[in-house]
Amino acid sequence: MSSWLELLTDNFGALASGFWVTLRLVGASFALAVVLGTTVAALRIAPSVWLQRLGGVYVETFRNVPLLVLLILSYSGLRRAGVPIDPWTAGIASLGLYTAAYVAEVLRSGVFAVGRGQIEAALSLGFDQAQTLRRIVLPQAFRTVISPLGSITIAMIKNSAIVGAALAIDDILKEARVIGARTFETDAAFFWAAIGYLLLTAAATVAFRQLERRYAIRR
Amino acid sequence: MGYLFDPDNWEWLVRSNNLRFLLEGFLVNVQIALIAMVFSLIFGLALALARLSRNKLLSFVAGAWVDVWRNLPLIFVILYMAIALPTSWREAYENAAPDFLPDVLRAGRVFAGLLALVLYNSAVLAEIMRAGINSLDRGQGEAAAALGLSYRQRMRIVILPQGLRRMLPATVSQLITLNKDTTLVSIIAIQEVVRHGRILTGFNFFGGVPAPLLQVFIVVGLMFVVTNLALSRLSRRLEIREQKRTGTTVEPVSGLEDQLATVRAR
Repeated sequence: MSSWLELLTDNFGALASGFWVTLRLVGASFALAVVLGTTVAALRIAPSVWLQRLGGVYVETFRNVPLLVLLILSYSGLRRAGVPIDPWTAGIASLGLYTAAYVAEVLRSGVFAVGRGQIEAALSLGFDQAQTLRRIVLPQAFRTVISPLGSITIAMIKNSAIVGAALAIDDILKEARVIGARTFETDAAFFWAAIGYLLLTAAATVAFRQLERRYAIRR
Repeated sequence: MGYLFDPDNWEWLVRSNNLRFLLEGFLVNVQIALIAMVFSLIFGLALALARLSRNKLLSFVAGAWVDVWRNLPLIFVILYMAIALPTSWREAYENAAPDFLPDVLRAGRVFAGLLALVLYNSAVLAEIMRAGINSLDRGQGEAAAALGLSYRQRMRIVILPQGLRRMLPATVSQLITLNKDTTLVSIIAIQEVVRHGRILTGFNFFGGVPAPLLQVFIVVGLMFVVTNLALSRLSRRLEIREQKRTGTTVEPVSGLEDQLATVRAR
């Protein structure tokens, strides 16, 4: 066990930098996923049937394709096609697009949880469609879906390891593999990496539980 | 766009069995998913029961086990198993693998992949099943106890049949996720659809012309979309049937994977 601790102190810099890379990857993809997911959710509840279908096709496509296939398409695929894309852009785009489908689904269910009467009241007060959505429906929808958004974030933290492995980004997993290969202490290296991932998922769990306690609307 | 729809870039689809090669790879994914699902269901049920056990220690250990495995990235577990699994285990698997399995699935490293998939998915399924069992009205268990049924009888005759049937749609959803996750074993060199796609698009493919990568993986993605859409239709129909039969509605469970939903009594 003491050698395990030694491995941690010896390689703390590398593991910490991997931790930071994972965190940045998740943060950037989360921002993209929320923005895009909100847009797609708005499409799915739009007054036009064609816009609804467009949103539906987006969700069904990105939710059912493996993330690894998306990563290969967006990095190697685009590169072969002559688009000079770098791993970070491809990784954030893939993880963001993939997660946006889940965010859209969750938000849509949140929107349906807002009572029809509220929308009718807003419309009769003279709000137009966009204003009703932005001022009345979405703020409430976000507050009802805090807990599922937390699950999505945790799934995202886990999925970031796929991005790292497929595109050779130096995240926690990659650092663990390098340290393990260099020191032949695979068990110890993977153990500390596991602690890193569990810290991230636990932090997300606690953070979203706090948010839920403060803002969630019980229905 | 011109590149994407250029007929020359789609010509590989009809050339020399390429499509069949991809489909054969996809079949390996489906087989891995099915094998992993069967074992995950068995171990998941055991874990759920252990977590719900009245024995505090057993319940705590099972809870910690489930929480650790379901919060680790699956690809992390797969890689770790591939690196760290003792050779003797792999050899034992190679010797014990039944003959009806295709050769691809009898290699020792497949055991590492399956073990990782089962460890992860049994933890997720245990959580789904626990939610299903907990969603039952308390009165059900109490009534069964009042009728003089023992703990085992209560579980077997009253609680489990109802709780598990409620979890059927969520279980199918998890099968969809599992089906997508099988692509991850390509990273430990198991010859499934992603590997087959890589071979088709590799520059050393039988000295021939490599197939265009974008198009090949769009086809691979479509295979998953078609299969998983069919599965989610099935899940939806099961959900509706259950709703009609028992008058319960579907609500998402907090703390679970993205698309999971459970049924809660109204």
